[in-house]
Amino acid sequence: MNRAIVFAKRNLIEMSRDTLSYIFCAAFPIVMLVIMSLVNESIPKQANMTIFRIDNLAGGIAIFGQTFVMLFTAIGVARDRNGSFLVRLYASPMKGRDFAVGYILPMLAVAIIQVVLAFGASVIVSLVTGDELKILGLIAATAAVLPSAMMFTAIGFLFGTLFNEKSAPGMCSVLISIGSFVGGIWFDVDGTGGVIADISRWTPFYYATKVARSAIHLEFTAENFLWPMAVVIICAGLITALACMAFSGKMRADLA
Amino acid sequence: MAKAIITDKLTKVFKDKTAVNAVDISVEENSLVALLGVNGAGKTTTIRMLSGLSKPTSGKATVMDLDVVSSAAQVKALTGISTQDTAVAQNLTVEENLRFMAQIYLDKTEVNSAVEEIISDFGLAQCRKKKAKLLSGGWQRRLSIAMAVIGKPRVLFLDEPTLGLDVLARRELWEEIERLKKNMTIVLTTHYMEEAQELADYIYIMIDGSIAASGTLDELEKQSGRKGLEDVFVSIARGEN
Ligand SMILES: Nc1ncnc2c1ncn2[C@@H]1O[C@H](COP(=O)(O)OP(=O)(O)OP(=O)(O)O)[C@@H](O)[C@H]1O
Ligand SMILES: [Mg+2]
Repeated sequence: MNRAIVFAKRNLIEMSRDTLSYIFCAAFPIVMLVIMSLVNESIPKQANMTIFRIDNLAGGIAIFGQTFVMLFTAIGVARDRNGSFLVRLYASPMKGRDFAVGYILPMLAVAIIQVVLAFGASVIVSLVTGDELKILGLIAATAAVLPSAMMFTAIGFLFGTLFNEKSAPGMCSVLISIGSFVGGIWFDVDGTGGVIADISRWTPFYYATKVARSAIHLEFTAENFLWPMAVVIICAGLITALACMAFSGKMRADLA
Repeated sequence: MAKAIITDKLTKVFKDKTAVNAVDISVEENSLVALLGVNGAGKTTTIRMLSGLSKPTSGKATVMDLDVVSSAAQVKALTGISTQDTAVAQNLTVEENLRFMAQIYLDKTEVNSAVEEIISDFGLAQCRKKKAKLLSGGWQRRLSIAMAVIGKPRVLFLDEPTLGLDVLARRELWEEIERLKKNMTIVLTTHYMEEAQELADYIYIMIDGSIAASGTLDELEKQSGRKGLEDVFVSIARGEN
């Protein structure tokens, strides 16, 4: 049987039986969506601050959710490396590639389910608040956020490979806080300018959020969609390659 | 008789420690060999090298005529290992764990029957739907060993398989090992002398990474002039003859 798929299935089952993954990957982003929508309702219209309006917020929350996919990928990999189960698999005919595919694939599935849930919740919010949200945009965005899902999963794979079970979640939390901030999920980077905006533009998180928001607005311009998308795809590719190399390297060292 | 395992001056050096020192062992097909030695003697390290989990620093080893280094992938497909620590997927049920391992090693068409066979052989029927992490330590260990066997290995490595098992479970596992012996070669490490005495066709005693003595129980008793494996072992380990 295809060992990568068999391993992917195991990882999906492990994750689906962990209550925490539901809380962080599904419930928490939706809770933030509701809270930020409430915040938005209390912002006076003349402030002209639209970052938390549902058509902007939905894209931000989609990326925010993906940072937790990163966290759970890292925890899963680090936990396996800590125990003897992985040793047993090292002694099996499984190859480095099987491990990489097996770790990444199920998390992409989780990321898709997650974004569908977050967008579903966004539709409900938009119905309540009366703000316009294009369904076609949400469908486009569901596909458009796949490269960033890959990127965050790869970061999780990398962190789970480099750090142990105790430190990996901590490192991810740092990235969740910094990433969601400089990614422009909680504030309008382009409207702010200054040093923070400059820093943001040096991180892939900013582009990931931009892709999600532009897709929801069906705004497929070069500046707001194509270029940011190119940045995300390149980063996702590089980080995935790096993570796979790191894992293979660790595996080789463990088998030395 | 064909040899399942042959090593030639097999050696493993960690930074400042020679864990396994020029070990020569040879194991006949479908026999059970016990590897005995005090803590740190090099048993686990030897098993790791034979199962492709660790590369020898020098020397050679073949398993089923395949070199453990140059044919590592083929060796891995032919061997099963139950590590000293229990190695199960915690959130998977007993059945899922077994199915997982079967799918890694076997052809799709063999998976179902292999799972059922192992569940019945290892008496896992009543807990097949239970998550591994909810099993007691002894049952997890039983599952862990079953997972090493389900891939139908030609050579099975059991590193302290009965550690933490109660008396009854140990007896049952012995019976299972006796059955397995008919179809595969087994290398077993243990600190329980009665276990080696009961199961082993041939015994190697390691001291400080080297083979200090080897033979059948009878031969070892003659060599050392003691009766019973425990006394034989103690006298050899203490260097009394
Ligand atoms: N990865 C490693 N790095 C450095 N030293 C190691 C490593 N693995 C084992 N050793 C050392 O090699 C020696 C042999 O260890 P090994 O685990 O093979 O012993 P053992 O006979 O299995 O002992 P036990 O009965 O306690 O399981 C020990 O001194 C151990 O500390
Ligand atoms: Mg050991």
